[in-house]
Amino acid sequence: MDPLVDRLDRIRGTVAPRNHNARTIAALTSNPGCGRRGLMDAAGVNKGAVAGQLGFPAGFGQSRFAIARGNAFEAQVKADGAAELLQLLRDRLGLAIPEVAYDDLSNVGGNASREVRYARTKALLARAASERDDAGTLFDHPMLRLEIAGYYAYLEPDLIAFRAGGKFHVVEIKSFAVIDGQADPGKTAAAATQSAVYVMAMRELLAELGHPPESVSHDVVLVCPENFANRPTATLVDVRKQLTVLRRQLSRLTRLESILDALPAGLSFDLAYDSDQQATRPADELRKAVSTIDARYSPDCLGTCEMAFFCRDESAGSTSALGRSVRDDLGGVESIGTVLGLARGTLTPGAGQEEIAGLLRFAHKLRTECLDGIG
Amino acid sequence: MSILTALARAEAVESGRAQPLTTVRHTHVAERPLVLVPLSLAGEAAAPLAAIVGTDPGEPRLLVVANPRDRTQRFDFVAELARVVLSYVDGCARSVDTGAGGTKLRYAEAPQVIVPNRGGVEFVRLLGRSTRFRRPFGPYPVHRTVPILGQWLTFLRERADHPGSSMLLAMTSVLSEHWATGQSGLEDANLAALLGWIDPPGDLDGAGAAALAEDPLRSPPAGPSTDPTFDNEILAPALAAVARSIDDFARERALAALTAAVADQMRPTWDLTWQAVRLLRTRPAGASVETRWAMDRDVFTMYHMALAEGTALPQPRRDSAVAAAGRLDRLEREQARYDAQRALDDPLVMAEFRLSGEAFTGTVVAASPNRVDTSGKKAALRPHITVQTDDPVRLEPGAHLVSPARLAQQATVVSVSSVDVVLELSKGMGRSTKQPAPGSVPEVGDRVTYGPVTDAYQPPGRFPSRDDTPWTHGGPPPVIEYHASDNDAVEDWS
Amino acid sequence: MPFVSEPIHIELLERRIDRLRGELRRAATTGDRTMARALRAELRQAEHAWDDALADLEDQARPAPQPVHKPMLSIREQVHHALTLLTVPAAPKLIIAVHDAFFPGELVAARLTSLRRDEERSFRVQPFGRPYYLCPALTADLLSPARGLLALSTWPLEIRVVGPLSARVDFLIGAIKVAQRVAQLPEDAHDAQRLLWRFAASIPGAGSAGITPSSVAELAQAELDVHLEADTADRTAAASRAQERLDGSEALFGARLQRLRRTASTT
Repeated sequence: MDPLVDRLDRIRGTVAPRNHNARTIAALTSNPGCGRRGLMDAAGVNKGAVAGQLGFPAGFGQSRFAIARGNAFEAQVKADGAAELLQLLRDRLGLAIPEVAYDDLSNVGGNASREVRYARTKALLARAASERDDAGTLFDHPMLRLEIAGYYAYLEPDLIAFRAGGKFHVVEIKSFAVIDGQADPGKTAAAATQSAVYVMAMRELLAELGHPPESVSHDVVLVCPENFANRPTATLVDVRKQLTVLRRQLSRLTRLESILDALPAGLSFDLAYDSDQQATRPADELRKAVSTIDARYSPDCLGTCEMAFFCRDESAGSTSALGRSVRDDLGGVESIGTVLGLARGTLTPGAGQEEIAGLLRFAHKLRTECLDGIG
Repeated sequence: MSILTALARAEAVESGRAQPLTTVRHTHVAERPLVLVPLSLAGEAAAPLAAIVGTDPGEPRLLVVANPRDRTQRFDFVAELARVVLSYVDGCARSVDTGAGGTKLRYAEAPQVIVPNRGGVEFVRLLGRSTRFRRPFGPYPVHRTVPILGQWLTFLRERADHPGSSMLLAMTSVLSEHWATGQSGLEDANLAALLGWIDPPGDLDGAGAAALAEDPLRSPPAGPSTDPTFDNEILAPALAAVARSIDDFARERALAALTAAVADQMRPTWDLTWQAVRLLRTRPAGASVETRWAMDRDVFTMYHMALAEGTALPQPRRDSAVAAAGRLDRLEREQARYDAQRALDDPLVMAEFRLSGEAFTGTVVAASPNRVDTSGKKAALRPHITVQTDDPVRLEPGAHLVSPARLAQQATVVSVSSVDVVLELSKGMGRSTKQPAPGSVPEVGDRVTYGPVTDAYQPPGRFPSRDDTPWTHGGPPPVIEYHASDNDAVEDWS
Repeated sequence: MPFVSEPIHIELLERRIDRLRGELRRAATTGDRTMARALRAELRQAEHAWDDALADLEDQARPAPQPVHKPMLSIREQVHHALTLLTVPAAPKLIIAVHDAFFPGELVAARLTSLRRDEERSFRVQPFGRPYYLCPALTADLLSPARGLLALSTWPLEIRVVGPLSARVDFLIGAIKVAQRVAQLPEDAHDAQRLLWRFAASIPGAGSAGITPSSVAELAQAELDVHLEADTADRTAAASRAQERLDGSEALFGARLQRLRRTASTT
């Protein structure tokens, strides 16, 4: 067995690695500098459970209304041989009229196991990629996989891979609205990153079959409802940038040796589940284990990482807890105590701190001068 | 953000309380603002679920949609909301400002709509966009007030982009302009947490109050998005109960339960928003607040009359490229003016300019009050003063400045050295051409501040006419002027 | 609760409901599923008790609820009507839409889900005991049930098997059939027209305003001509394979993968 995988297994403990999906893989790119997160994700640790055991449960949840709306819109676009989607692809991408073949890969003869579905996806895409143009156009629910730090993560995109002009495109169906040509930038960015994960996984699959990466386009088709109706509209989104970031981040995950070497040999985040599925690992012991790896907390983590509330608590008193821009404004000085000491002149600036100390003293003088006598 | 605000945040962490960023209030707080707390259904573009609205903290008006996905019920809700909002807006146009002078008519009041956060502003935009093209006739007719509400909401949302306008306010933004908390800006978007730092309840400190405010069970989100567990565990069964009620009795009961559930989610935010209004009122208003509010009232007066006369400009779905560029340029100049006005009203804002070297404070060490400039056709009184300062001045000779203590007087930088600045003064010195009026020119020993001029003439940006829109920006827009059409009105809405 | 009066009982229940809601959301937030499930059950119980208590309290002679109007036709008959109109396999959503547009009564979506299983069970108990069965369409490659597509057992196999092009072909055939039926209806048959527009929106050239049922049918036929030959070839080949390999119930309800593998290894 690969010693790295072995080591990660020991760090994770007795449970199976957490399943990745496009969303969790996309999240890997949001704070690439964080060693704690990188290690926990690489080892497939259930961060939510760890945070809960540490006393900082993460409140990540999705409204069932949002889920229902998403499912309903997807079903609508794909209904009747993806009739609505076909019309969009014909209008926007000039898909030729004869190109209507539709293959459903969600289930293979009543067998929905991931391996069987992956094999069938591979077989059908191989045929489409190597044969004539009529070897398939739309592939619904393909099963893809991506290697994440030694493990295969199976990805089940709610999407259609679509082939035209000798290229595959990823079609991502999202239920947030595009109103007057504009959509929520945060949601669009998240959709682009997730699509990039699929592009990457599809490229990997086709590479195994000997096809070059360009056989999967970096332009993904984003299908969203238009304005306040359910009528879908399609936009091409270039995900080259997201692909680069993803590739870099995923390769980092497999280059963890340097981080691992610095860690104590017996390190483990095992929660020691008992027969009732209750975690029994003492919280302070777990806290010690988690604290051996440095985190790079920033308030953005609150929206993307299950460990965020723990890390925020841990970084209390540091300027980075106030946000990157505040930290930058304070010249990168790490501790709030230092900032105040420098500002009040009770601390002597260290090497390289002279300039920021001068500014802080001036700022402090200005605030005192202006607020003197004001409650 | 600046080092001043950053330092204030550090101080807030240490003291456990938010720290002031201003010495006065820069936002107008109307005598009778309309507070609006909206909730929308997750997953939908603009499906209102409920709202609390009203001008009296003790009399919240609660509106609920029993089935947010039902078009008819949605527009019934909008019509209800329109009744409240339009009667409020018309109420503001009831009396005329008699003190204004001049020939221009100006209403004594303007609407001030306060929502809890930026999400509320976006809700106003979407609701305005989704209602202003509706029609009271033709397919899918709506109540006649619906498109009018849409126009007003669109108007208010547009005004919210103008720096210094107070007609549509996101309370979190207003508070963040005035206080620095010991948490990040991201966390300040939570009204309850932000207020927890500024005005913590009981014996709590800011951090403690903010921690409580982050618990969605103790402190429901301020909307428009609801907490997912509320959706899944409370709202979904409540909506389902309404949908499957078999008779009027059951329906009434189910509606009462639904109403109580959403009221529980909104009521704390309603109270917090009013708490914030009261808090803002305790701060003295800056000197130019009234000027900016008068500008709001002018714009309101014009739009109100234009709507009544049917001459209001259409509110297209998207601006043309040229219109958008012109608008951006206007907003930038308004921002500069707003910043300068606040600086003159407030030494703590002026401090930002002093930090960046665009303003300075110091002591007058030399003055020649009777200096006359004879280089022109007519001799003119042009006193010079020399101000000694420790501030890191970054000004060029020729720059125009003004002092908060002498707003009518113009100062021009003559020279800058590492220890002092020489200024030439004009205007605001009385009628004599030989001698300034007593006290009008700073004397040796006076402590003075000079900063950027509020209305320094900045030429408006030059943009091509619509017909010359470059192809990179879509080329000239179609010749046909934009008119709301039946096409807009039948736009699908599901 | 014999010791408390109704109003107090209700108040106690309300407090209990509030408390349960709080605990439930707490459990849901922290991801404690077991606890959440238990609390959810307890909450529903309390809510029912509250409902009952309130109903008692109201103690009003409420009008007897209107007897629910029972449809004259069974659900399988309703589905049969819709499929007979379309002449091709269709998804439940489309079946409902077609039924509601052209036939009286309402087709209850929730009841469609169990339909297929019931049909298969009935067939196993007494093969061919019914004049027709509602069965899944079969995939052309594996001859296994196609996801979410219903067909009639009386149709020839060439129609019941679906290949990659069949979804489009069947959509176009359905559009033609719907258009033909709409043409026979009065102009104010709005539901039927709306259904036709939905078809038309996804047919090249048919989405524009002022379109008539006959032109929708013509445009659908024009696209159909492009795909029909290839699709028919696929389906005929698959049908003859099915004829060879599938027997009795499988020919109607589809082969399971395990059995198919066995078949494959013996041939």
